[in-house]
Amino acid sequence: MLSGGRANAVHAHTNMAEPMELLCWGGDWDLPSVHTDSLIVLAYAKFSGAKLAVKSIDWTWRTITASVPQLHWEGSTVTEPAQILNFLRKQRFNADYELTAKQGADTMAYIALLEEKLRPALLHTFWVDAENYVNLTRPWFTSHSPFPLNFFVPGRQASLALSRILLTKAESPLLNITEVEGKIYSEAKECLNLLSHRLGNFHFFFGDTPTSLDAFVFGHIAPLIKAPLPSGQLQKHLNQLENLCQFCNTILKNYFTDAAAEKRMDYG
Amino acid sequence: MSLAAEAFVSQIAAAEPWPEKATLYQPLKEDQILLSDSASSLAVQTFLRMCGLPVQVSCCANAEYMSPSGKVPFIHVGNQVVSELGPIVQFIKAKGHSLSDWLDDVQKAEMKAYMELVNNMLLTAELYIQWCDDYTATEISRPRYSSPYSWPLNHILAYQKQWEVRRKMNAIGWSGKSLEQVYEDVSQCCQALSQRLGTQPYFFNKQPTELDALVFGHLFTILTTQLTNDELAEKVKSYTNLLSFCHRVEQTYFKEHDGESQSGSSRHSKGSLP
Repeated sequence: MLSGGRANAVHAHTNMAEPMELLCWGGDWDLPSVHTDSLIVLAYAKFSGAKLAVKSIDWTWRTITASVPQLHWEGSTVTEPAQILNFLRKQRFNADYELTAKQGADTMAYIALLEEKLRPALLHTFWVDAENYVNLTRPWFTSHSPFPLNFFVPGRQASLALSRILLTKAESPLLNITEVEGKIYSEAKECLNLLSHRLGNFHFFFGDTPTSLDAFVFGHIAPLIKAPLPSGQLQKHLNQLENLCQFCNTILKNYFTDAAAEKRMDYG
Repeated sequence: MSLAAEAFVSQIAAAEPWPEKATLYQPLKEDQILLSDSASSLAVQTFLRMCGLPVQVSCCANAEYMSPSGKVPFIHVGNQVVSELGPIVQFIKAKGHSLSDWLDDVQKAEMKAYMELVNNMLLTAELYIQWCDDYTATEISRPRYSSPYSWPLNHILAYQKQWEVRRKMNAIGWSGKSLEQVYEDVSQCCQALSQRLGTQPYFFNKQPTELDALVFGHLFTILTTQLTNDELAEKVKSYTNLLSFCHRVEQTYFKEHDGESQSGSSRHSKGSLP
């Protein structure tokens, strides 16, 4: 799957002093991580051939102290998916080098679309919707945090999610979360439809090799496809968009099967 | 507005033709309006001119409070009030005027994505520079925002607005950014827009769309507004095709009115484009 250029980049770095270390949330539901931002970085690392030593922060104090995902290398620390991807590109792990200037611009635009239209609804589905939060999200994060943090971590994430939604999407007449819900879900469904139109019948968004845009889209939709949500109207909508589901499964199969197979062996 | 109410309003909107006395409300141009509001207002005015719909611009000190969503500008058409570019585009589409009907699905997706890019990066950067940069906030934003009011209301309102904007920046993760990083983000956004525009007259080749209106609104305002330093304008000026795009839209849609450029002249701005 790797083209010649990328293989050379990997060879140039196999004799690095120490590997790059990534801190992220652990995986479940057939995914290497349940956290969107961590998934983005993991996917990009696979696409660009960067070897990362992945350390999960589950069951450590870092669940409340660290801002995840976090990349450590030779003393420097980088957080936030966009910054980490920039850092990897500077280290010559570049999955975007075949893109034209216009495609690079399109990447920025689509990432902005994802952040504005899809992320609020994802936050709502996992952290604010009562059924999902109580039956899926909170138990998962509680069971993956050490005592006594398991009492604080989910609640803190949930209130951060709620305040982010209210501050960015709720305008004066819509001060109530229930009124904002209708708006954010309809925007999210529209966003998914737009992504589906853009993807069409191709394997990836820019041809046959995955790029950073594919990493961002994968990070956002994979948890939505794979999580066993009790109340998932957005999930149902996404399942109807077959090309996006196919896209997600292709990436999992081609880039993450070792991880998925290992996990099955652990739990099996 | 809830979805059902929106659908109802669209149906009513479709029934009436565009009246002659449609009005657009914005804060006072000379003393009160800030960069971000001025950009949004100009974007809406440009969009309406591109659709060929006449509208009167009315400046009121309390425009922000009159608006149904708390944001300016808003238009008063017939007996409906609609605010912000997104809902206004929908409203006008319900009346039968649209600039983007001829685009296919993939192009519409691109257009929406680029509009989000402008909102996400340019508008947020403008808000950051106005309210989160202490120097600009003290010298320009707070005095201008509270100029129509007397003491102590002016202080209270200005600080309240600043607190609100800083909370929002915090929620989306921009509060940790430095001013240089924000300028860098603006530069990257302009680079993306410049690459998308290329050598075409408009973003989707021959005809303007709402994306062109939005980009023009923001870029023209950035270029013609005096802030504490010129760095923001310099970032935009380094992309020549964006400059010529702004000139072109200004010439086509704003210079036809009796020689006077209505779009940007105020004491706060430097007049028309350099």
